[in-house]
Amino acid sequence: MESILSLILALLSAPLFPGVILKVKAFFAGKKGPPLLIKYYTLIKLLRKGSVYSSSTSFVFKLGPLVSLAGALMVLLFFPIAAIKPVFSFHGDVIALFYVMATGRFFTIAAALDTASPFQGMGAAREAFFGTLAEASIFAILILFYRMNGGLAFSEYFTGTMVISLTSPTGSLLLLVIVSLFMILLTENSRVPVDDPATHLELTMIHEVMILDHSGPDLALIELGSFYKLFFYAAFITLIIIPFNPAEGLFNLPLFYTVLTVIYAAIGLMESIMARYKMNRVPKFILTSCTLVFFAAILTMGFVQ
Amino acid sequence: MNAFSLSFIIIFAAGIMPFLTLRWFSASRYIYSGLTTIGCIAGLWSLINSTAGSAQTEWSWIWLHSLTLTFSLDSLSSYFLLPVFLVCPLAAIYSFGYFDQQEKGLRNSVSFFFTNILILSMTLVITAGNLITFALSWELMSLSSYFLVMYDYSKENTRKAGYLYFIFAQTGALFIFASFGIIFSHTGHLLFSGAAALPDQAKQLVFFLAFIGFASKAGVFPFHVWLPHAHPAAPSHISAIMSGVMIKMGIYGIFRMYFALGSTDLLQGQTILFFGMISAILGVVYALGKHNLKRLLAYHSVENIGIILMGMGLGMIGMGHQNAIMAGFGFGGALLHVLNHSLFKSLLFFGAGNVIKETGTAHIDEMGGLMKKMTITGKSFLTGSVSISGLPPFNGFISEFLIYFAAFQGLQYGHSSLLSSILAIISLAVTGGLASFCFTKVVGIVFLGEPRTNGAAVAMEKSRAMTLPMIIPAICCLMIGIFPQIFINAAFAALADLPGITAVNPKLVDTVGADLALASRLFLFLFTTVMLCRKLLYRKKEITQSSTWGCGFTRPSTRIQYTGTSYARSVIDFFRPFVLVHETAVLLDKIFPGRIHYKNHTEDIAEVGLTKGFSEPLLALLKKLRWIQHGNVQLYIGYIISTVLVLLLILFT
Repeated sequence: MESILSLILALLSAPLFPGVILKVKAFFAGKKGPPLLIKYYTLIKLLRKGSVYSSSTSFVFKLGPLVSLAGALMVLLFFPIAAIKPVFSFHGDVIALFYVMATGRFFTIAAALDTASPFQGMGAAREAFFGTLAEASIFAILILFYRMNGGLAFSEYFTGTMVISLTSPTGSLLLLVIVSLFMILLTENSRVPVDDPATHLELTMIHEVMILDHSGPDLALIELGSFYKLFFYAAFITLIIIPFNPAEGLFNLPLFYTVLTVIYAAIGLMESIMARYKMNRVPKFILTSCTLVFFAAILTMGFVQ
Repeated sequence: MNAFSLSFIIIFAAGIMPFLTLRWFSASRYIYSGLTTIGCIAGLWSLINSTAGSAQTEWSWIWLHSLTLTFSLDSLSSYFLLPVFLVCPLAAIYSFGYFDQQEKGLRNSVSFFFTNILILSMTLVITAGNLITFALSWELMSLSSYFLVMYDYSKENTRKAGYLYFIFAQTGALFIFASFGIIFSHTGHLLFSGAAALPDQAKQLVFFLAFIGFASKAGVFPFHVWLPHAHPAAPSHISAIMSGVMIKMGIYGIFRMYFALGSTDLLQGQTILFFGMISAILGVVYALGKHNLKRLLAYHSVENIGIILMGMGLGMIGMGHQNAIMAGFGFGGALLHVLNHSLFKSLLFFGAGNVIKETGTAHIDEMGGLMKKMTITGKSFLTGSVSISGLPPFNGFISEFLIYFAAFQGLQYGHSSLLSSILAIISLAVTGGLASFCFTKVVGIVFLGEPRTNGAAVAMEKSRAMTLPMIIPAICCLMIGIFPQIFINAAFAALADLPGITAVNPKLVDTVGADLALASRLFLFLFTTVMLCRKLLYRKKEITQSSTWGCGFTRPSTRIQYTGTSYARSVIDFFRPFVLVHETAVLLDKIFPGRIHYKNHTEDIAEVGLTKGFSEPLLALLKKLRWIQHGNVQLYIGYIISTVLVLLLILFT
């Protein structure tokens, strides 16, 4: 029951937090910024509209939003939000979940190529390349976690007795993971410095340019999927930072959402103080994250103890 | 064994029939496809029955009064027979639609004949019970497939590819026979089981010799050079058999040899794992660099063989640590991937055949927009692409998951096993990512978007015989994804008769299967729910059609689409030291620029290395010795006599 309640709360609140990012950015720019609920308004507006489909597209174009949203939903079903036992869980679910998200990416890319637009092809190629590199970093993190507590599931990482967190004996290694995971978050969710969702030049966008031709409810589904994905990564980092006691159940939620907001604010801060990298520097950025975790994994080999 | 021998006879008869019915073109194709399918189904039937009953059946026959040919069927052979009897009938049906030119009647009949000889020789290789039987069947398999590659012998490229294939097949066979020779010299008899008695050092040598030989058949990097040449040259259903089934015989050989030797040295496992990782990553990178659809698919065979080898290597490391879970899941994952790869790879080759036949080109940048005209081909190809990228809820993911499971087991050990497991996990992840990169490229450039050329614009789906062989494996791919338990159990059951392996707790296997089933089904369920919601949202909404937004560009043409070359460019650049890219470009440089053009082509480092580092120096050396070969027969006889004399002197002093 608790797990379903926390899941529903997460599903409902996920579109709120990108609003936080916008507020932080506006604050740094000395502006008032859009209202906090802006993303809800956008979703409602999109859901009311009809759609325009390009005559070049086939059914694959419509599969993109569906698969990516289904993938994001599935991840949240398996994720222990605020260390509350997730709805589903099994040993090895992390592998399945990252692959499910990869399926989402596959169809988003295919949908982009379906429009026959050169810009969308460009975005698709970049997304595929950076996504592949980020996958290596993610699996490096899974290796490290397996070395630390023998778990291969989100629930095993965060709801068992030997919880992975900064305060645990090997917690210092997790500093590297947090930095690396934050870099992956920026990459996978197309934020600055990897991608700039606010730019108006198609040539410089990655994810946004891929969804240029989607409109109406289709676009709403894509947006919703991306909110969930961002929520998942932010929640992942939150759970690593703060050791929640699984026994406390729903009482974890206030602290969880506070820290979560801080992470979103950090994204906003990042976007305010940094510019987007040149495209050829992005792979180096992602590989740095991989190296950090790889380094942490090597440290568990017992050379330093 | 009864239904099994019956299937054998039917398939052989089916191979002969096209010669007898040469005059009636349609009838001969009907008879051939029908009989071959029936024969394979009979074989499949016998497999399903035999696995339930006795574990081992044996059958032997003395040939030429001296050589005993033995055939036996254990759990591993039964499992490897599955892809043979699953893929070959599909290829037979496909060939009905593919060989539709009456004027090539005789040539087709020859191809039909050798196809069935290939099917039979593959079953013989799998069921071979001793070394000599294995060697004979192996040669029969290599030769019959050589004739199949040479179908288009009037083209120079085909002849070159066939020649290359022949050399690799025979060199590989030499290595295998050398390892057999060492076994024989130690034991004095021809049984596989004798190999276990060899001294440790001889075991090492036998294993690595056999590995090189089998690797050249399986297409392991860097022994894969023949593969990307032979697959595009052969007719599409032959490529499907060769890539889907025949190269697995190399894997079968490595399995056989490893378990016959019974050596659990970690070095063997680590070597196999290393070659697996190299093959997997470089295979997919080269695939990204290729523009010829069939050549691209051929490189994906290198990749998938790499994944299979990674599973095997992890299994062997597990054997070395006496970790039943790691060994079982490594081998089980490898075996399941053998079946999975045979399904989606044949599906993809059939699809490539359809597309190439319709558009008249194999260059992917000259296709486009085929999804709307060739719906069934397109949808099945998309299914195959998602499966081969190892994405849920399809079959490729299931076997890769098992291999991950084994690799994570390896993390509990120290140093070398830990490092190799870490590398295995990361390479598997990178391979998966790159494979989906490559297949979004293929699907996106070939089937989606707008047609780039006239050929692609007029393409139509024609024969049902060419789409049915795609639909069946596509359904199988999804079924294995949604009902993985049966297939995982089958893969584990294949290990039952092998010596030295401890069975994994069946409960654990069941749990993993059930978990994977849950993941696949849940994903499908969520997908359907979201789809229904979307339907609801679009009720009574205005939906209009328009052209793609050109970002301010007002006169778009189909030529401005992103090409496969540009799509893959960034990754190719990333792997630059391993991929040799040759570019010729005339770019805008003057005030009044002329026509610009750009051409690139990527080269395989193994091929270049083999040519520059081995063949050319060897030829240069041999050129200097050419005077020995002068054509004078008397002197040749002199050579022989003096050699024999010298040998006798050495031996008897």
